[in-house]
Amino acid sequence: MAKVTDMVLWDKPGERVLLLGNQAIARGALEANIAVYAAYPGTPSSELTDTMAIVAKRAGVYMEYSTNEKVAFETALAASWSGLRAMTAMKHVGLNVAADTFLSSVGMGVEGGFVIMVADDPSMWSSQNEQDTRVYAKFANVPVLEPSDPHEAKEMVKYAFNLSEKFKHFVMLRTTTRSSHARGDVVLGELPEEIKAGKRRFGKFNKDPTRFVDIPAHSRKFHPQILEKIGKIREELNECPFNWIEGREEARVGIIAPGLSYAYVKEALHWLGVKNVKILKLGTPFPVPYGLLEKFMDGLEKVLIVEELEPVVEEQVKTWAYDRGLRIPIHGKDLVPRVYEMTTRRAVTAIAQFLGIETPLNYEALDAKYSKVLEILPPRPPSLCPACPHRNSFFAIKKATHSKGIYPSDIGCYTLGLLPPLNAVDTTVAMGGSIGIAHGLEIAQHGSVSEEGRKKEKKVVVATIGDSTFFHTGLPALANAIYNRSNVLIVVLDNLVTAMTGDQPNPSTGQTPHGPGKRIPIEDVAKAMGADFVAVVDPYDIKATYETVKKALEVEGVSVVVSRQVCALYRIGQMRRRGEKWPIYYVDEDACTGCKICINAYGCPAIYWDEEKKQARIEPSMCWGCGGCAQICPFGAFKPVEGGDE
Amino acid sequence: MKEIKEYNIVITGVGGQGVLTAASILGWAALHAGYKVRMGEVHGMSQRFGSVVSYVRFGDEVYGSMVPEGKGDVILSFEPVEALRYINHIKRGGMVVANTKPIVPVQVSMGKASYPGLGEIKKIVEEDFRGRWIGFNAEELAIKAGHAITTNTVLIGALTQIPEFPLDEGHVREVIRLSVPPKAVDMNMKAFDLGVRAAKDILRL
Repeated sequence: MAKVTDMVLWDKPGERVLLLGNQAIARGALEANIAVYAAYPGTPSSELTDTMAIVAKRAGVYMEYSTNEKVAFETALAASWSGLRAMTAMKHVGLNVAADTFLSSVGMGVEGGFVIMVADDPSMWSSQNEQDTRVYAKFANVPVLEPSDPHEAKEMVKYAFNLSEKFKHFVMLRTTTRSSHARGDVVLGELPEEIKAGKRRFGKFNKDPTRFVDIPAHSRKFHPQILEKIGKIREELNECPFNWIEGREEARVGIIAPGLSYAYVKEALHWLGVKNVKILKLGTPFPVPYGLLEKFMDGLEKVLIVEELEPVVEEQVKTWAYDRGLRIPIHGKDLVPRVYEMTTRRAVTAIAQFLGIETPLNYEALDAKYSKVLEILPPRPPSLCPACPHRNSFFAIKKATHSKGIYPSDIGCYTLGLLPPLNAVDTTVAMGGSIGIAHGLEIAQHGSVSEEGRKKEKKVVVATIGDSTFFHTGLPALANAIYNRSNVLIVVLDNLVTAMTGDQPNPSTGQTPHGPGKRIPIEDVAKAMGADFVAVVDPYDIKATYETVKKALEVEGVSVVVSRQVCALYRIGQMRRRGEKWPIYYVDEDACTGCKICINAYGCPAIYWDEEKKQARIEPSMCWGCGGCAQICPFGAFKPVEGGDE
Repeated sequence: MKEIKEYNIVITGVGGQGVLTAASILGWAALHAGYKVRMGEVHGMSQRFGSVVSYVRFGDEVYGSMVPEGKGDVILSFEPVEALRYINHIKRGGMVVANTKPIVPVQVSMGKASYPGLGEIKKIVEEDFRGRWIGFNAEELAIKAGHAITTNTVLIGALTQIPEFPLDEGHVREVIRLSVPPKAVDMNMKAFDLGVRAAKDILRL
């Protein structure tokens, strides 16, 4: 079967293929003749960027993995100013990082179409918080499109570029986990000649300081211009092909369904057998097109807005209704939860309540039954992989600090160091946050005295941060800690890729998707910044890692240990592709005393407890051969299998 | 192509077991059969050896990517206890096709949680949720076919034997043939056959 990434470049208009929402968006960008794409990966947006990475060269698109969302935003924006169609993408919290540029530059507008794709994560499947990007769109007065399925997502990208150019304004495309990670049938459209030919496109920047230099004298005119633009866009969206009214013309009750909620509403109505209803399907939750809304509301006696997270549409509809003196019941967040993701169940429950009918399932009885199941289910949270080098780093840190340290950590797979038995993560906040938090904790624990007084104290704070996160936002925090003479240990868990989001390259990898980039060794950065102790260690050597950490703890000032070993999941993936073997380990039954150190202190998922024999065992299909268990076992019970496996 | 309103498959297992691959195979098979298809997946941190779930849905009335609670026609589970974790999704009379080879969670090894017995799991499926149960050691059969990595193919083979399953066994087989590396085709076809046989034996077909 053709690779999905190849399908994204297929010149087969009319062909029906199964694409992930994010891949459909990439196809849409290609059909829209995109020229420049820059992004930092973040679940659930990453596959869009990864798809662009694979097809960029062939399509004549400049694509980069930027070091953070703000830089990515600026890169794409400047390309747009130069007349090229450009796009950036990020997860919802990525927009927080890019927000300074986003909100400062929105008044400057665009030349080539500029589309900002932001993927929200309601219910937080892989995120630290739940935020609704549509609120940002409203805040910035930027229109936001939200698809209800992958095909529509593709079509919306093309529309978004045109809209952006027509009004010389930013346009956002907001997805959620359930639209970015939904697969559906997508009908391919025409690819532009430039994309098919992989043609290099040149932009031209026309200088205009009154527009591109945001000194107050220039930017005072921006706000009124932005408001004028968004007013005109609201008008335009009355004709937007992703907004429509459906259902019974003569119905007296109406349901407004923005974005993906439309899908759940459709399923709920079918399940409930409700037909006498009018639906306003909204592909543009902000701004709500008032002309279309007026047509929809005509003759309705009550309305329900089925909307995920914040009442963005609800507030616009209610404001509009109030201003027109319309006094019919408008329901929304009173019937639809404001937290977590939308589901068919939620839509069914809200609509049933709205119409005063029964749900097709007795959810109360189902929940009662299911809660009994949950009581006997052993939890299975995600865990660090077998052979994960982070496990060894955490193990060494815990041992060197006698488990008595404070351990701020950061955003990445290594957040999982939180779980037992490692319990090696005490705080995480946001990308790059570990170092600033470590610095503040250090000040507080060592007393609010000048640097000299604190420097003599024994180090108690050990921060952990990944390589990609270090370059993302760790750099200014490290500069701050060194400049202000902090007294902390920072262990950079350098696994040479941006692992959690899918092994994307970063400055520590050195590679780019298109060939060699320039590698930036983290230890060189730390040294150049003036860290008081810098060392590099291989965490697959647990004893050496422990000794290095111990030494780093004894130095006054800021110590940086770079714990470097390639991501195990990445390595095994590469080895599998090449058909290579790796060693695997087993438990020598004569040597294992059943002390459980491997399980209660180390916690590799390949090691399990044999309840009958009261001994540790290794699940061979899960062992990736790092040999960490052999190093931590006091009785030498873990031994390599002759000849290995795979 | 049989006309259907909706057919809902929930695929569960442990991250790394090939849940996403199985979902992709079934999704493509449904697309080739001419159905409107929706699939739901979760990527990112949750994939790291934690409990994972994917949804494959097809039919005229399918819009969202998630199988609603109480609407699952099938739960295809790569691990016995993971079948239970999503059991609220099964509809009355729905089928659970499960690999009975457990993967013991770390917390069970640590003595902080216990692992329910197979009999108990089956009883909950059949008695509390009125589902039907096809349980067998798919990994054992996969190893017999050539490698444990074909466990998902064994399970898919078994799935195609459910009497109401709307996709043609040949369609599914063809998608697997096209998806796996050329040198793994024979092994996967063998695995598929072993799954078909196992389900037939259990269902007495």
